[in-house]
Amino acid sequence: MNSKLKKGLIFGAALIALIVLALRFFVEPPPPAVSIPPSVQLLESRLVGRKDGVRQWEILAQSVLQAGDSVTLTNLDEMVMFQNQEPYLNIDAETAVWNRKQDVLHLYEAIVRDNGEDGLYLESDLLVWEGAEETLNSPGPVFILWQGLEIRAAEMLLESQARLLYLRDDVQIRDGSMLWRMDRAVYDLDAELMDFYGNLLLEGEAGQSESE
Amino acid sequence: MKVSRKLVGLLLLLAFLGAAQTARGQGQIGTLHITGVSSEVSTGRYDREAGIFYADVSEISGALITFVYDDVEIMGKIMEWRTDDDYLIFSIDAKLTQEDFELTGDLIEYFGEEKGLRAEGNVVVVTEDATVYADRLDYDEETDEALFTGSVRVVFSDGFMIGEKLLMYLEKSELQFFGSFQGEFNEEDTNEE
Repeated sequence: MNSKLKKGLIFGAALIALIVLALRFFVEPPPPAVSIPPSVQLLESRLVGRKDGVRQWEILAQSVLQAGDSVTLTNLDEMVMFQNQEPYLNIDAETAVWNRKQDVLHLYEAIVRDNGEDGLYLESDLLVWEGAEETLNSPGPVFILWQGLEIRAAEMLLESQARLLYLRDDVQIRDGSMLWRMDRAVYDLDAELMDFYGNLLLEGEAGQSESE
Repeated sequence: MKVSRKLVGLLLLLAFLGAAQTARGQGQIGTLHITGVSSEVSTGRYDREAGIFYADVSEISGALITFVYDDVEIMGKIMEWRTDDDYLIFSIDAKLTQEDFELTGDLIEYFGEEKGLRAEGNVVVVTEDATVYADRLDYDEETDEALFTGSVRVVFSDGFMIGEKLLMYLEKSELQFFGSFQGEFNEEDTNEE
């Protein structure tokens, strides 16, 4: 190998080393790849929630967005909750978010009605349906009409299997002209038994009648 | 005698309780309070189908159940109100008060259909003018009579009378003693109480 070739190789190696160093220290590396979960948006879809193969609820929505484990439903046309395979409750809500893995359904600006003789009407800014426990929770204020009762509470939990309604904080129940105020109450919807806890005030109100 | 006149408090109570059952929608019908209880403690149950309201605070120190209507108060530690039968019972430290009238007993019952009131066990009626002790008091709204029976003792400011049966006619403001009665009265104004 002659000296010119040697010099050329040395110069080339030095140049490559300089370029590598320049790239390493002076050129900003590209941002790392961001993991974007796959999402699917469906339009005019019917979504069915099941537990052990048994239908729990069914939603007809204009828009369904699935991202990860979360399914967001907007423009709900129809939502029905089932009990023993039979339609149990109809729900109107602005938005529903279902976490599939946890089987938890959040309903925003929800109004719940039944079509039976009970005449249930339930209104809450947020309702949380937990499929595993089969409970409907209102962590905030709730307003309920039930068999002539007018119920308000700061919190509510409904155990749908046991058909027990737990009411908590600033509970008010109007039964005709009688108005109950109490700290806490548990109402057995089937037996029509109300257990009350803490202090209680029961008052008859002027100008009210049972028909109201 | 003013003793019977003071039993007008009972009439007010009867009016209240009757109104609570029958006059829904006709105006104020009073209030029921349960006080002195933690929010975690169960105090009772309302059976809507049977129309039975039951409350028990006998195990809770300082707790009380009180019905209030106008200036009449009836209170106790245990209460049951059968709204369909218009029946109410207070027991344990049962007391009815109205201004300077006070009735206490082991239990106080109200029978709406029969329009009657009964107090049983260690009955004491305190009025401005006298105190009546008896085992039992039966008040009949129809006849406007209050019957005290069992170890009856009427204590006035100037004496007392003891017997087994005493009937008060409220309207006439009369007292009628049955059976053997004995009493003592002093000339000077001394109070046995």
